[in-house]
Amino acid sequence: MNTRLVYMKNIRKTFGDVVALDGVDFELKPGEIHGLLGGNGAGKTTLMNVLYGLYHPDAGQIYVHGKEVQIRSPRDALHHGIGMVHQHFLQIPPFTVAENIVLGTLPKWERTKRLDAAVKRINELATQFGLEVNPSDRVEELPVGVRQRVEILKILYRGVDILILDEPTTNLTPQEVDALFNSLRLMVNKGLSVVFITHKIREVMSVCDRVTVLRDGRNIFTTPLSETDEKSLVKGMVGEHLDIEHSFLFTGRLESSEGTTRDPGLPLIEARNISVLGDDNAYAVHNCSFSVRAGEIFGMAGVAGNGQKELAEGLLGIRALSSGEAIVNNQPVRKGKTRDILASGVAYIPEDRLEDGFLPRASVAHNLILGYHHQAPYQRRGFLDWKTILRVAWDLIREYQIRTPGPEEVAANLSGGNIQRLMLARAFAHPLNVLIAHNPTRGLDIPSMEFVYTKLMALRAQGAAILLISEDLDELLLLSDRIGVIYEGRILGTLEREEFDKYTIGQLMAGIETTNSSTRYRKTKEV
Amino acid sequence: MQLLLPYVLAILASFAAAGIFIAAMGFNVVRAYETILFTSFRTPFGFIQTLTKFVPLTLQALAFTIPLTAGKFNIGGEGQLIAGAIGATVVGIIFSGLPALLLLPMVLTAGVIAGALWAALPAWLLYRFRISEVLTTVLMNFISFSLINYVATEFWPDPAAGHPTTIPIGNGGTLPNLISRPPLHVGFLLTLLVAALVYIYTSRTVSGYELVATGANPRAAYVYGIDVRKLSVLALVLGGALGGLSGGVEVAGVHHRLIEGLQSNYLTLGIMTGLIAKGNNLAVPLVAFFIAILEVGASAMQRTMMIPGEMVIIVEALVVIFVLLSDVIGRR
Repeated sequence: MNTRLVYMKNIRKTFGDVVALDGVDFELKPGEIHGLLGGNGAGKTTLMNVLYGLYHPDAGQIYVHGKEVQIRSPRDALHHGIGMVHQHFLQIPPFTVAENIVLGTLPKWERTKRLDAAVKRINELATQFGLEVNPSDRVEELPVGVRQRVEILKILYRGVDILILDEPTTNLTPQEVDALFNSLRLMVNKGLSVVFITHKIREVMSVCDRVTVLRDGRNIFTTPLSETDEKSLVKGMVGEHLDIEHSFLFTGRLESSEGTTRDPGLPLIEARNISVLGDDNAYAVHNCSFSVRAGEIFGMAGVAGNGQKELAEGLLGIRALSSGEAIVNNQPVRKGKTRDILASGVAYIPEDRLEDGFLPRASVAHNLILGYHHQAPYQRRGFLDWKTILRVAWDLIREYQIRTPGPEEVAANLSGGNIQRLMLARAFAHPLNVLIAHNPTRGLDIPSMEFVYTKLMALRAQGAAILLISEDLDELLLLSDRIGVIYEGRILGTLEREEFDKYTIGQLMAGIETTNSSTRYRKTKEV
Repeated sequence: MQLLLPYVLAILASFAAAGIFIAAMGFNVVRAYETILFTSFRTPFGFIQTLTKFVPLTLQALAFTIPLTAGKFNIGGEGQLIAGAIGATVVGIIFSGLPALLLLPMVLTAGVIAGALWAALPAWLLYRFRISEVLTTVLMNFISFSLINYVATEFWPDPAAGHPTTIPIGNGGTLPNLISRPPLHVGFLLTLLVAALVYIYTSRTVSGYELVATGANPRAAYVYGIDVRKLSVLALVLGGALGGLSGGVEVAGVHHRLIEGLQSNYLTLGIMTGLIAKGNNLAVPLVAFFIAILEVGASAMQRTMMIPGEMVIIVEALVVIFVLLSDVIGRR
């Protein structure tokens, strides 16, 4: 028991009918980086949320330093030296780095005086662990990678010896990922232990000492990295559902794309110097020009929030183009013409599926035909043909494995992953010339991701033009013929498939444009 | 039957709650409820009265639920009713010589159009200036009160009446009776027809689909190409048309003239009906029938037992509250 820093025994957690954790054992040794690996819905975050006191387990015990403990809230967890950094940062944007870090630690009456000591401590920690920050910077002006450091420092400031990171690399450029991994090594050398939650095998291989693979709420195995390989990890994550030999996870490429050299045809998406205003009336997209040709997948890389959504909405007539012009599927794009654009053979998978694409009060069938409800075969002379609609709906439910009793069920009962499948079904249900997809595989488990990739490649083979906007660089590298990088609403560079290099793209994602002889670094918020 | 349970419980709970008040006031609770519930079925007159009340209740409820489907709140049902009544009366008096074949459709159509126009102003203010229809439809009600007073006292007033009333409309403009003794006018069938058409519209037409989508998530509907702003206008105007129809039917079927105050408390009852039916157009006629029973019972109770008729409104309001509560409880 002494070599175990944390021991979670037989943890069980259900949410209604869903069993999220089915008697999971987990142990953490001192001074190790322990990877918690699994696909979406495997239970990794849930397990750590239990450890951090955000969820109470239905059964099971937790031991810290050999003693059984009750962790009823994050305060208890912190008291036991356990800290967690979530995917969504809990920061106050107008506050400084120092103010955010000390939030919740200062007794109220000393607020105005104590910051000096805090700043000193922050700088110490920052240097110790390679998490460079400037304590007087305002958080809202910082890039995501730095904000993550602030989030980590928040935990370290409170003096933990166990650090849990939930999918920390989601919004980082490759260079920032390297910097993070360095910091983790420094932490571990100083005696901390780290739990690293991820679904990316390559990350586990590069930074972890041991790994636990979860699937369907069960611990499949725990092993030191030295005694395993990528193939075993894939097998553990995916089980028997997938043909491992051919899975993209293992081969790093898609079977379907082999042997088919595409000659891209005419451009079906053309953006010429388009600018689009964001919700805050500042330009979200500045003077962008690019084109996507028939039979080509154009990947748009970039850290979240650099104008991707506004770009997609501009191209579909959802948002007005304040300058420039765009032609999609041979139709000039104007605000309010979305219906016509969709009707001509265009589909859109929005990133925020709940807000932008989902009708909770309506039925599953209603949701499946949204956007195409006024086209044959769904309607005739103004009346909906429910017989056809329901038949098509059943087919789609089957093909896309949407878990629901039937198309007439209220859509609000669908779980997150099934809502995503519904969005995909809606997009792919008709012959398409153009697809604009924004984070289409988010929230999907591995077999579903594979399914989506196969569909995308099939669409490409049929000659459709696909604009794939994604924050998952691996996904883009896997699928794209060309990759463009968007940063603060501008396209900083475009690479052909032969030129793909993670680090070059990472630089562009961070706003570093390398021109022939100089490198310009762009500060995040140009005023 | 799982669906009906919350309703049954809500009704029982509200009866129980109000019953406590009735008993506390010293009245015989059992007799009170007996009167409320069974007056409608005791005499042919009671039953016909119930069906007659059913008409404006259903139409007013639909005037509320159609815009509600699109996420908009039409609180102007009574203004639209009054506008419709005025329109119907004006046409009915000016063209009073025409035969029924012409005059009756004209009278009813005038009612519908007047109601639609009465809602069109709030709809336009919503479309153009994003002014909340909740405010504008209510304010239009007040305008209509003054308007009906003006019309009933200045235009063709009936000198014999002690209350602002017009002379009767032409005979051709009156709705024929289905049954003569006691009189039940054809408006009853018309209402059933309208309710059916509304249901078909929202569930089977493309436009109805867009209405549903707009109400379910206006942002998503917009992203997928639905013109939500135009649909909100359409929804309000349709609601107004139904409100206007209810006014036209009151004039053509019940009063045969314009009487100030003919809107009664139909707006309140109509909205309550719509809420109890939870916006479901199929349930509206059933709920309206139930409310009609209670209303007829309320008058009888007031006459025979001296219990204030307002007790019934309290019961109905409690039903609304309990039904909505059951939603919340059901979700847990």
